[in-house]
Amino acid sequence: MKKIIFSTVLALSPLMAQVSQEIISPDVTYTLKEGKGLDSVQANCSMCHSFGYILNQGKQSHMFWDEKVHKMINAFKAPIAPEDIPTIVGYLSTAYGNGK
Amino acid sequence: MKRRDFFKTAAVVGVATVGSSAFGSDTTTRQPIDNRPISKINFPEKRPMITYSDRPPLLESPREVFSQTITPNDQFFVRWHLPEIPTKNDPDTYTISINGLVNKEYKITLKQLKEDFEQVEVTAVLQCGGNSRSAFQPTAGGIQWGSGAMGCARWKGVRLSDLLHRAGLKKDSEWIGFNGLDNAAYYQTPNFVRELHLSELDDHVIVAYEMNGEDLPYLNGYPVRLIIPGYYSDSWVKMLSNITVTDKYKSLFFMDVAYRVPDNETESETPDHKFKTTKPITTMNVKSVIGFPTNGEVVAYGSQLVVRGVAFDSGIGIKDVFVSVDGGKSWNTAILDDGKAGRYAYRGFRYSFKPETYGDVKIMAKAVDKLGNEQPLAEDIKWNHGGYKYNGIDVVTIKIV
Ligand code: HEC
Repeated sequence: MKKIIFSTVLALSPLMAQVSQEIISPDVTYTLKEGKGLDSVQANCSMCHSFGYILNQGKQSHMFWDEKVHKMINAFKAPIAPEDIPTIVGYLSTAYGNGK
Repeated sequence: MKRRDFFKTAAVVGVATVGSSAFGSDTTTRQPIDNRPISKINFPEKRPMITYSDRPPLLESPREVFSQTITPNDQFFVRWHLPEIPTKNDPDTYTISINGLVNKEYKITLKQLKEDFEQVEVTAVLQCGGNSRSAFQPTAGGIQWGSGAMGCARWKGVRLSDLLHRAGLKKDSEWIGFNGLDNAAYYQTPNFVRELHLSELDDHVIVAYEMNGEDLPYLNGYPVRLIIPGYYSDSWVKMLSNITVTDKYKSLFFMDVAYRVPDNETESETPDHKFKTTKPITTMNVKSVIGFPTNGEVVAYGSQLVVRGVAFDSGIGIKDVFVSVDGGKSWNTAILDDGKAGRYAYRGFRYSFKPETYGDVKIMAKAVDKLGNEQPLAEDIKWNHGGYKYNGIDVVTIKIV
């Protein structure tokens, strides 16, 4: 069984240390649309990941964005003040809303 | 990660979806999104790829990569969950610690890994459980991947069982926890630790330091990662640093909530009626992706066209791939490669035909495994909240002129 899956490697091949220096990863700018509440989103949603995560969701309903913001708070412990939630959801469902 | 301020000002356009969705019980499944642009900038050791996020890096392979059965390291997809990734792992001092319910806890260096154990190789497909998620409507939770969150490589390393054997498992040991060096940005965010039951960890599981004859690319987990052939990649921990043996399962967010599907026969539910119990996604279902031609390709009338792609499953083995060039009315057997790369690898397929109509032609590919499981049509795939395990018949539309 084992034989079919693996071929045992006998000789050790020398490896090049590809990562001998510090890795520098590029910054990509994911620009969010202007709109009421953008500053609140910038303050609350940039700690843990890029805005690419928001843009990637596409246009979505108010309920969708409301659920996402609550997911961030409940599952990932995002430190977001309860009074900021309506502003954030309002911005997202306007700037990235589908009218629902 | 270290930022390079230069890019702050560079006009780089991120990827955005144009799709929209409504809530409600109506669900549909369509072809995954396939027109996303390749970013203009490249990440370390990578060619420019479809870039969903820079922090953490989320990079998708473009479709044309799937006309080859080995995915080049510099086009292999990248998926991290947490943004704090060390900027340097020194191969001379890097260690993996093995601890918990074992007779002898120990730490192992890369050099010891390469010299003290039998070295083995396996060619295996690495696929994100959420690959092709953008097929699901309404939008399922998570990154809206097209079909390029997968790749196949030749991995070289050491059997996990050999490492555990040296430590000596104690009588009550049942679970093995794996952790890598990536961390959350916020201290209360759950860490991405994986736990697997001993019964899932057979001799096929390896701790790999080499990918396609080179060091692992940094973004694919340099210097070592876990390889679990046949399984979705959620537990293929990158920058593996710690292996802990326990008797009890610890409750962990990324195990208990993420990467799970409804625990019913069709693994499906509706947005309004989520199924109460869930199970881990575990092994991969049968799937194929066309690498050439790609959507929108313009092809000359009457000139021989060779459709190429890859097919795979959890290791049961691909029996056939069928290709249709008439919208699914008739299916023709594609030629498969010799299969020598093993049952966990991509099986390359090709199908040659002469387009004899003008205008749009739909090319479809359907793989069947040795147990007779076959890919369903996209529209027949039922919804699940995490958008996992999409394996619809792949469709590419080209133009004959
Ligand atoms: C405390 C950290 C944290 C904060 C703050 C945070 N998120 Fe997240 N977010 C996460 C994590 C962790 C994930 C999952 C990452 C992964 O798996 O790649 C995630 C994923 C997402 C996703 C992807 C979809 C999904 O269902 O996983 C979206 C959209 C998102 N976040 C939006 C937001 C918005 C909007 C805010 C601001 C209100 C926000 N996030 C703030 C941690 C955070």
